[in-house]
Amino acid sequence: MGLVNQIKYLTLYKIIGTAVISRQTRKSLRHYRLPRGWREDILAPPLRIGAYTQQMIAKHYLEGRYVNGVKPVAWVTSGAPIEILKALGYYILYPENHGALCGARKVAQEISEEAERDGYSIDICSYARTDIGTALSGKTPVGKLPKPDLLLCCTNICQTVLYWYRVLADYYEVPLIVIDTPFVYEEANDHDIKYVKRQLESSIEVSEGIAGRSLNFKRLKEVVRASKDAADLWLQCLKANRRKPAPISVFDQFIHMAPIVEKRGDPETVDFYARMLAEINRRVENGVGAVKHERKRVLWDNLPIWYRIRFLSESLAEHGVAVVASTYTNAWGELAPLMDVERPVESMAKTYTYPILNRGTGHKLRTMESMIKAYSLNGAILHSDRSCKPYSIGQMDQRLKLLNERGIPALLLEADHNDPRAFAGEQAVSRLKAFVEMMEA
Amino acid sequence: MPPIKIPSRKEVIQREKSSGKDVAAIYPIHYPRELFRAFDVHPVEVWGPPGVDTKMGSAHLQSYICSVVQSGLSFYLEGGLKEVKLILVPHCCDSLQGLGSIFKDFVKPGQEVLTLYIPRGITEESVRFLSDEIEKLYKSLARVTGRAPARERLMEEILLEEETDALVKDFYAGRKKTPLSSREFYAIIRAREYLPPRDYARLLQIAPRQSPESGPPGRVGIIVSGLLPEPMEILDVIDEAGGFVVADDLACCMRRVYGKGAAENPFKRMAERIVQGPPDSTKGGSVDEISVSLTGLTEATGARGVIFYNVKFCEPEDFYRPMLKKRLQNKGIKTLTLEADINQPLSQQAITRVRAFIEMLKGEA
Ligand code: SF4
Ligand code: SF4
Repeated sequence: MGLVNQIKYLTLYKIIGTAVISRQTRKSLRHYRLPRGWREDILAPPLRIGAYTQQMIAKHYLEGRYVNGVKPVAWVTSGAPIEILKALGYYILYPENHGALCGARKVAQEISEEAERDGYSIDICSYARTDIGTALSGKTPVGKLPKPDLLLCCTNICQTVLYWYRVLADYYEVPLIVIDTPFVYEEANDHDIKYVKRQLESSIEVSEGIAGRSLNFKRLKEVVRASKDAADLWLQCLKANRRKPAPISVFDQFIHMAPIVEKRGDPETVDFYARMLAEINRRVENGVGAVKHERKRVLWDNLPIWYRIRFLSESLAEHGVAVVASTYTNAWGELAPLMDVERPVESMAKTYTYPILNRGTGHKLRTMESMIKAYSLNGAILHSDRSCKPYSIGQMDQRLKLLNERGIPALLLEADHNDPRAFAGEQAVSRLKAFVEMMEA
Repeated sequence: MPPIKIPSRKEVIQREKSSGKDVAAIYPIHYPRELFRAFDVHPVEVWGPPGVDTKMGSAHLQSYICSVVQSGLSFYLEGGLKEVKLILVPHCCDSLQGLGSIFKDFVKPGQEVLTLYIPRGITEESVRFLSDEIEKLYKSLARVTGRAPARERLMEEILLEEETDALVKDFYAGRKKTPLSSREFYAIIRAREYLPPRDYARLLQIAPRQSPESGPPGRVGIIVSGLLPEPMEILDVIDEAGGFVVADDLACCMRRVYGKGAAENPFKRMAERIVQGPPDSTKGGSVDEISVSLTGLTEATGARGVIFYNVKFCEPEDFYRPMLKKRLQNKGIKTLTLEADINQPLSQQAITRVRAFIEMLKGEA
């Protein structure tokens, strides 16, 4: 069995699969074509790095198809401290990213309904429903997901993930490591960080046991270095949008953030973002904006609406509105300075306690305010995400504060990041129109 | 049997205040009551309350936030917490986390708002962390009240709470023999949300225990599971339909009947009690832990059905329920799921479903 898996992995993924995907990438770069129906009149062409983004995602999921029995497999939450697992050679799958992919490919509803038929409420996070739906039915647009040998859940994005991973642990009958990160209302206490650090330390033994090898601290430092470098480059890509016109839109960022989430800690991710930054810089030098005729610049708060990215991008670009900054994409870069390669575990404890989603509603408002200033923004769209209560709660006050105390037009857009049943297209269009008028008034 | 007179929340608050005590408003779910008492602060819990006009809260909260949090905030905004010296919002779920944060960052009440992070999972680490967290709460209470109770005082209150927990357990154990209706029984159980421990112990003592004609001949034993039994009308509907609530798996009731701690250190002991207490979805235990506890409860009480009485938009409960239902059904225990908004009366449809459920169980007897 082990040998058969090894051979399949080697031939179907390593040799044939990788070669086919790389050839496709080269081909699509050589014969670059705009996506069908692309609105050239209002939008710059997609970044060419997109071919590599697709390549990385395709390779990642292709590896997943053949990886069971070859490498240990961990399913992890998006904000989980994965560096230890990476250093131990795990293949890491992010169910939230898979959920996002299902959303973007417009199959999330169908898969979620599998979970709903099994009794899961439509009120729970749609990523969780998509993931549980995949577990129950096997449905996925990527062919097949590997089974986990280990689950790693970090509560630094929400408590939802904990209940969700309890369900997965029960379903797959595999160990679950919980890294519980106390919520930071103001500043983290010493005992909070110590608690997280102790949990990280005790997670090492369990992870080693499943991987069948010991953690090499030199390797861990290399992984932390790669994580930090990639996050840092990602942040530089985002910061390029401080220029006018903004070279990439937040909708582009949503697409190109996949590697920083699911390939964090890999040297190829560092290379990828270095290339992306170079392409963005070329746009800056040439004065190319993601939105042609950029007139207004706005902030996006909360998760993307995966199944309507293009629709929203076009609806706003039609009015010369560029969405140039986002609290969500920023979250993957803003903590890079906290990572200390020489003190990996200590610094991971701090870094992973401080993501925006683990911080108070006031902190989020201050983040928005400083981004509005740094990126010279004219307004803010707050996606009120029915599925993501921790990110959405507080938005009503944040919106009023932006509006009344900063004079920043702010729109609360009701939707759900993965479930199209919670999105009213026509209503969204008219609300966006009214928002644009408000910015122009 | 004459009804037992239970003082109202308002009466208790007035009485405690006039005896020189401060009053703290405590949001759900887990917290060390004994710590507040050691500071001469009387804790009064705010589970909603039901029936509040949530218009004021809805200016801060989206409609997909549960009614417990909607009511809790509205109640404060309409002046329901004027009498209290401080507010505690334990961190038990994403929505309560948001409530605590909105209080601190935007609503900014005149009173101090304190928080308490409840660790997830039962480990040595979580006890150690919660012990530190309770010690931090001690320091905040000392700052707010200007008092600093010594270890002995803390231990005295801890032991009193442990005794009260033992009395509550005992009261539950005698449930089948009490002549109390489900509504009466739960009015007594829930009076602990605001009564001082000695008054509460007295209430348990005077509550009728034994009755030859009580018990459930012909009645079907039911367990109610969820956060809280609101609207409480459900209890009447169960009784009228020929059911009988033999026990519960409710966060505001049985899931907070903690055991004794072992540690000599008072902070650690309080932490042990909460962490090692009955499983609760908001503490994020394993599906096994929770289902073993629930199926065990059905076996111990002879309950034939479980009603999941779920507050709409309560994610912690929503995740575990499908698995729990399967496990119960495998053991031959029937289940019914009802969705409730604590501010809305029980719908006619829900009433009909409870009746049909109990009829079905009776038919199988
Ligand atoms: S609730 Fe929000 S943060 Fe949590 S998994 Fe869902 S989308 Fe992510
Ligand atoms: S009802 Fe559920 S979601 Fe609401 S406060 Fe209680 S635990 Fe949280």
